[in-house]
Amino acid sequence: MDTVDGLEFRNVTKSFGAVKALRGVSLTVLPGEAHALVGENGAGKSTLLKILAGIVQPDAGDIRWSGERLHLGSPREALERGIGMVYQEMLSFPNLTVAGNIFAGRELTTRGGWLRGNDMRSRTKALLDELHLPIDPAAQAESLSAAHRQLLQVARALAFDCRILVLDEPTTSLTDAEADHLFGVLEKLKARGVTLLYVSHRMPEVFRLCDRISVLRDGVHVETVERRSITPEHVVRAMVGRELPPRSSRETRADAGLRLEITGLTRRPCFRDVSLTVREGEIVGLFGLVGAGRSELLETIFGLYPPDAGEIGIDGTPVAPRSPYHAAKAGIALVPEERQRQGLFFNLTIRHNLVLPDRTIRGDTLVRTERERQEAQDLVARWRIKTAGVEVLPDHLSGGNQQKVVLAKWLATSPRVLLLDEPTKGVDVGAKFEIHEIIRREAARGLACLVASSDLPEVLSLADRIVVMREGRVQGEIAAAKASEEAVMHLATSLERAS
Amino acid sequence: MKRLWQIRELSTVAILILEIAFFTWWLWPDGGRTHPFLNWDNALLILKYSSIYAIAAVGAAIVIISGGIDLAPGAVMALTGVVGSDLFVTHGWSLPASMLAGIGVGLASGVVSAILIVAARLPPFIATLGMMGIARGAAFIITEGQYFDVSSRLIGGWRPFGLPADWVAPLVMIVLALIFQVLMTGFQWGRAVFSVGGNETAALFSGIAVNRVKLSVYAIAGLTAGISGVVLVLVQGQGKADLANGYELDIIASAVVGGASLSGGRGSVIGAVLGTLIFGVLRNALPQIPGATFYDRLIVGVVVIAIVVMDQLLLKKRG
Repeated sequence: MDTVDGLEFRNVTKSFGAVKALRGVSLTVLPGEAHALVGENGAGKSTLLKILAGIVQPDAGDIRWSGERLHLGSPREALERGIGMVYQEMLSFPNLTVAGNIFAGRELTTRGGWLRGNDMRSRTKALLDELHLPIDPAAQAESLSAAHRQLLQVARALAFDCRILVLDEPTTSLTDAEADHLFGVLEKLKARGVTLLYVSHRMPEVFRLCDRISVLRDGVHVETVERRSITPEHVVRAMVGRELPPRSSRETRADAGLRLEITGLTRRPCFRDVSLTVREGEIVGLFGLVGAGRSELLETIFGLYPPDAGEIGIDGTPVAPRSPYHAAKAGIALVPEERQRQGLFFNLTIRHNLVLPDRTIRGDTLVRTERERQEAQDLVARWRIKTAGVEVLPDHLSGGNQQKVVLAKWLATSPRVLLLDEPTKGVDVGAKFEIHEIIRREAARGLACLVASSDLPEVLSLADRIVVMREGRVQGEIAAAKASEEAVMHLATSLERAS
Repeated sequence: MKRLWQIRELSTVAILILEIAFFTWWLWPDGGRTHPFLNWDNALLILKYSSIYAIAAVGAAIVIISGGIDLAPGAVMALTGVVGSDLFVTHGWSLPASMLAGIGVGLASGVVSAILIVAARLPPFIATLGMMGIARGAAFIITEGQYFDVSSRLIGGWRPFGLPADWVAPLVMIVLALIFQVLMTGFQWGRAVFSVGGNETAALFSGIAVNRVKLSVYAIAGLTAGISGVVLVLVQGQGKADLANGYELDIIASAVVGGASLSGGRGSVIGAVLGTLIFGVLRNALPQIPGATFYDRLIVGVVVIAIVVMDQLLLKKRG
């Protein structure tokens, strides 16, 4: 085989169970260039990065540097090969000093094992000066601003003489000014010959920094293009361009009453001035990329956090839920994003799990075991939850059936408004279809549904209307009949405003 | 219906029976003398002293099931016992009134712990560690190193509700254990405690008033520790500041041996009570074995570890 200069992925394949995350990805990052890796959520970007970082091992294929095959068995090995990572979740050791963070795991010591604190601090100082960062090496990492902590990771990678610096959505939690500073540093590094691999879905950043752009979609490398010869619109099309699933043909009656009405709802710093409505029997999709503020919005409507400003109305009556209990009493239910952490009790049986919200809201005093068993069995049969019975714990259920339990326990409360946060995250295709059917059927019976999802095909096939959020703001609203993946993605990546 | 082997309390009962059988065999007397361990007087003695632990263990188990921990019961027992006996002996209050006041102090200490945990967001370990110091300290301040002689002020042959005085502790224990067992298994409140202990985030997302549940469990722990302290004073006849020293660890160990999981969401009131009986039998029988005197703490420690390890192995099997 011919050798290529730079970092080369050759036919990298990785599956997690039945999910094929990467299907033979081959692409090359040239030495000294800034290379962007873009794709929708779930396109395989993170998996590719994890393989590069030595966290995950590929099923097949390999990674080469100038033709030499790299064995990346652990993050440590990746670091020693000169691959520096800057992660989205930034802070490695909030409890250590700046110098401690930079040298964590590779401390300078004397022969006897004694830490050479002064040396580490002076090396850190030199490094920070080079990056023009006015940070005290002895400061606690947790006292730094978000941008400085992000840059601290860059400095840490540089301290290990990295040849290639990988950045995974580094600006997610930065303000514009902070991001500017980061870009200044990155541009300087690029000028010094450091190879950059930049992962993001923000087109303006990608087009500002990168020389070439590689697009991943559904675990496949679609194309690698020169920035100069391409428009952002082309890249977005490449990211989403796939067959559309069949569009739902249901029509919401125009005279249907407003069930949920949100006006100017604000909770800083998560979202600002959000207004939207959901009619009786309507399914509204809430689309946005990671960090758009969707979950936070739903959790605020559900009373988990008090809003800074704005109003929530149910059936024309203003409500101000102080807690999920009050929200549920007012007829709002939330199927949360993380069913394992937020939805299920693994110490309680399916029966307890299924009846808990209903009984809590009704304020029952006594546990009526027989009646509960009957109700739980009815719910299991009605929503076709595959379980060995209602008296078993939920940990043996598949992801899809666990999700159906969470959905069923809230539908049992007969809510007026159902909020769903990533309702099919991590479930198989069959369960996904069934969950969509449940949502459609309940909507047909008049339930108002607000579905937050970063799964664009899901939003397009399920929703009657799509509200797009970006960075805590509503960017626009599109009727499903007129929506295309490109149009929605444009709004979500803020290439242009809705016409 | 649950199958028999799935009822966790049964394994605790089995251990207790094995334990009693072992000591009956080991301490079997020569000739026709009465058995030093297996006789009614000794059984009542074991029951009486175990009850002191068991009453407080009722509340401790509920706290542990809710995912928390209470380090204060020993110290709260001392404080409530001292307050009750002080009012009875030096201030001339009637016995019921002074004992009720003592129990009130216990309840109040539980409420204070709860407020520290819920409102000030202290970790339960820290809040109740602080409460442990405060309660013990307050007991020393009140007694000024003296003790209150309760027994001499009680009329000879004192028979509360017409019952022998020795029965008071076991009866109180049985009544409390039954009440709270039913509350924990048959009432929505108990299920809320299990759900908060099993998954606090999911409980919040399910509309459960998590803070109110936490408040209630620490208040109950204070209440049961208070009742236990008052009963202890009546059993021992003295109110002093070093009562129930170190009991908190035995109480927590009893709850765990009885099936409670320190990570929350699992356990039972009856199990914790049975756990105190396991330790009560050990404490009673070991000193009767010649030469075992110096070994009893060690044996108690080994028993705790052995039972918990066995339980985890069984749990895997039941899985």
